[in-house]
Amino acid sequence: MTLERTEELALNLGPQHPSMHGVFRMVAHFDGEIITKIDPKIGYLHRGLEKLAESRTYAQFIPYTDRLDYLAAPHNNMAYVQAVEKLANIQIPERAEYLRVIFAELARIASHLVFIGSLALDMAGWTAWGYCFRDRERILDLFEMTAGSRLTVNAMRIGGFSQEVPDEFWPALKSFLDDLPEMLEEYQGIFYGNEIAMGRMKSVGILTKEDAANFSTTGPVLRASGVKHDLRKDAPYGIYDRFEFDVPVLYGCDSYDRGLIRLLEIKESAKIIRQAMRDIPEGPIMAKVPKVLKPPVGEVYHAVENPKGELGFYLVSDGSTKPARLRIRSATFINIQLLPAISPGWKIQDVIAIFATLDAVLGEVDK
Amino acid sequence: MDALNKLPLNIAAAIRGLFGDPHSIWADLTMTVIGIVLVIVLIVLAALILILLERKIGGWASQRPGPNRLGPRGWFQTIADALKLLGKEDVTPAEADRFIFKIAPMIVFALPMMTLAVIPFGMGMVPIDLDLGIMYYLAISAISTLALLMAGWGSNSNYSMLGGMRAVAQMISYEIPLIFSLLGVVMITQTFSLSKIVEAQSTIPFVVIQPIAFVIYFIAGIAEVNRAPFDLVEADQEIVAGPFTEYTGLRWGLFFLGEYGNMTAVAALITTMFLGGWQGPGFLPGIVWFFLKVGIIIFLMMWIRWTFPRMRIDHLMGLAWKVLLPLSLLNILLTGLGIYIYQYVLRIGG
Amino acid sequence: MFGKGLFKGLHISLKRMLGPNVTEYYPEQKPNLPPRVRSSMGLDPDKCISCGICANTCPNKVITLTSEKGDNNKKVLKTYQMDVGRCLFCGLCTEACPTSALTVTQQYENAVYDADELQWDMIKRHRHQTGKEG
Repeated sequence: MTLERTEELALNLGPQHPSMHGVFRMVAHFDGEIITKIDPKIGYLHRGLEKLAESRTYAQFIPYTDRLDYLAAPHNNMAYVQAVEKLANIQIPERAEYLRVIFAELARIASHLVFIGSLALDMAGWTAWGYCFRDRERILDLFEMTAGSRLTVNAMRIGGFSQEVPDEFWPALKSFLDDLPEMLEEYQGIFYGNEIAMGRMKSVGILTKEDAANFSTTGPVLRASGVKHDLRKDAPYGIYDRFEFDVPVLYGCDSYDRGLIRLLEIKESAKIIRQAMRDIPEGPIMAKVPKVLKPPVGEVYHAVENPKGELGFYLVSDGSTKPARLRIRSATFINIQLLPAISPGWKIQDVIAIFATLDAVLGEVDK
Repeated sequence: MDALNKLPLNIAAAIRGLFGDPHSIWADLTMTVIGIVLVIVLIVLAALILILLERKIGGWASQRPGPNRLGPRGWFQTIADALKLLGKEDVTPAEADRFIFKIAPMIVFALPMMTLAVIPFGMGMVPIDLDLGIMYYLAISAISTLALLMAGWGSNSNYSMLGGMRAVAQMISYEIPLIFSLLGVVMITQTFSLSKIVEAQSTIPFVVIQPIAFVIYFIAGIAEVNRAPFDLVEADQEIVAGPFTEYTGLRWGLFFLGEYGNMTAVAALITTMFLGGWQGPGFLPGIVWFFLKVGIIIFLMMWIRWTFPRMRIDHLMGLAWKVLLPLSLLNILLTGLGIYIYQYVLRIGG
Repeated sequence: MFGKGLFKGLHISLKRMLGPNVTEYYPEQKPNLPPRVRSSMGLDPDKCISCGICANTCPNKVITLTSEKGDNNKKVLKTYQMDVGRCLFCGLCTEACPTSALTVTQQYENAVYDADELQWDMIKRHRHQTGKEG
C-alpha cells in the first residue's frame, strides 16, 4: 500500500490582491481549503510619521494625522490636537468642542459605512458596497463644505476648530440623519439579513473574550466579543460625558457580530450628533493660542475611541516648537495581530471575511 | 403570422432546393454547416450583448448608469473591449504546461457551441435534431469541468490550481441534482428528444407540472455555469480569478465567450425543458418567444448575481448533497406516483 | 423562514435598479464645488507682501519665494514657486496668509504628464488665469 501524502499550499495574498484593504500582504498556508497558518506582512505603507513629527511643529503635524486612518480623519485630528492641548494646557471654546464631536461621530459613521461596504464586497456583495459608498458620500459632502476636503479633512486646530460651519451645513446634516434609519434598513435587507451572508459569518472566526483581552484588542472587535469597553464612556475625553448614548455589546464573538456591531454603533453615533446639534452654543471656535506654540517640558498620553478602537498619541515635549517624540498607538495595528491567531482552522473564504471584520486601515497599521 | 413563423423553414427549403435532390448528403451537409455557423454567431452575439447587459444591470442595481461612453448609452462598449483584447499580448507563463494551457480556452469556447446545436429555437428549427438530445446536452456540458481543471492545472499557479479544484468539486456535485431534476420531464414525455419535449408542452409548460424540478435545475444551472452566488471557481476576492488568472488577451476573451455562451445554453435548456420552448401565444413568432424566455431567465440570473454575496464552499456542497439531491429524488418519486395514478385513473375511466 | 432575507435583498436591488441613478456624468457635467474646497492654491501677487509666513507654515516646504527691496523699502515679490508634487493640500498656508493673497481655488483638474510641470510658478499662473499674459 502506498502512503498517501498531502502537501501544504502556500498562497500569497497581497499586497496587490482584489480583497486586500490597502497594501496588506499575507502568506496563507493551506491544507486543501483549510488555513493552517497565516503570516501577515505589513509595512508597505510605512511613511515614518512618528519620525516626521519630530521635524514638524506641533501645528504642522495636524495634516499628517489625516493620513493615519484616512477613513476617519477627524478622529485622528481630534486625538492629536487634544493631546497637544493637554500638554500645553489650552482650554478650547465650547462651540469648538461640540463641532469636534459632531465631526468625529460623522467620521465614525463614514468609517463604519466603508466597513460594511467592504465587508460585503469581500463576499462579492457588490451592490451593498455601492449603497454604502453612496450614503458615505453625503458625509463627505458635509466635510467638504466645512473644512474644504473630503478625505484628509484637516478640520481641527490646536485650540479649536478650523472654520465655522457654513449655513447649509445644518439642514444637510439634519436631512442625512433623518435618512439614516432608512439606509440602515437597506443594508440590513441586502446584506446583514441575507441568509448567505449569515451563513458565511455566523459562528466563524471565533475570538473569545479572553483572547480579545489578552491581545489588547480595542474598539468594535473587542465589544463584539462581549467586553464593554469604550473610551467615550470609560475615560471620557472632550465633552463626551455630556451625551447620553449606549455602548453596543454583542456576545457572539464571531464574524457576524463583529460586522453587526458597526451597524448598531452608527445608530448610537447618530444619537450623539442629534444631542450635539441640539445643545451646540454660539460663540467663538478658536481659543487664543500663541502663534509659536512651545508647550512646557513634559509628556502626555491621550487616547480617543477611534471607529477602529483606541487611538492614542504619546507626546514628549522638550520645550521647543517641535515634539521631541511622538508615538502613535493605533488600534488596527494591534487588531491585525489577531489574524494569525484566529484564522487557523477556517477556510480561505472565512479568513477573507475575518480580515474584513477586523477593519484594518493600512494607513494606520503601517503609520 | 404563420408565414413569419415558417419563414426560416421556407428559407431552409429554398436552400435545399438549390441541390438536385433536396435530401442528398450534400444538402444535409450544407444545412448542418449553416446551422453551426448560425450557432457560433449566436454565441458571439449573445456574449457581446450579455456582457454589456451584465454591466448595465450591475450598474443599475447600485444606482449607476453602467458603461455610458461609447455609442448610444454605451451600447458599443463590449465591442471596444473585445477589440482591445484582440490587441493584447498573448502571455504563456514560463512554468505552464503549454499544451494544456493553450487548449483549455478553446474547449471552453467549443462547449456551448456543441450544446446549443441541439436546442430547438423554433418550430422545426433545430440545428441538429438528436433523439438523445438531453443526454447529449448533459454529457457535453459536463466537459466544461474538465476544461476548467485543465486551465487551472496548466497555468501552474496556486490561485489557478485552487480554482480548478473548486471547479471539479462544485460541478460534479451539482451535476447530479441537475440531471435528476430533468428526469421528471423525461418520465412524463417518455422521450429524450428536445424538440419532442417542446411539442409536448403545447398546452401547458412543464414549469407548472414540475415546479420543484424547475427550481432545482435553475439553482444547479447557476452553479454549473459558475455564476454568483456560486462563483467559487473564479472568486476574485479569494483566488484572484481562479483558473483564468494567468490568461491574457484573446485566450481570456475565449473564456468570457464560453462563460456567457454557457449561460445562454443553460437558459436555453431551461426554456426548452420547463417554459415550453418556442411555444407561445400566436401573436409573436416562435423564435421571438424562445429568445424572450431565454432573456427572462438570464435577467433572473443577473439579478441574483448582483444581489447575493458568494456562498461558502461547505454550504455550497451542503446545498447540493443535502438539499437539492434529496429534493430531486423526491421529485422523481412524486412524478412516478403521479404518472401511475394518472394511468390508473385513465384505465378505470376508460 | 429561511430564504426571506434572500427575497428581501432581491426586492431592494430591483427597486434600486428601476430607480434613478445617483452618479454624475463627469466630465460632461462638472461638480459644483463649495467655495472652501482646497483643490489648488491661487496667488494674487498684488496683495502679497512677501512676508514668508506661508513658507514657514507649510509642513512640507512646498513654497519657496524670493523678494526684492522696492520703493520706500517695501518688499516686492519676485518669484513664488510651489512644488505641488509634495503638497498635502492641507490649506495651512492660506489660513496663515495675513493679506489673503494666497487662497484656495476650486480648480481640481491638476493632472499633468510630466513631473516638472508640478513646479507651479504662482505668479505666471495668476497672470495666465486673469488673462494678463506676459
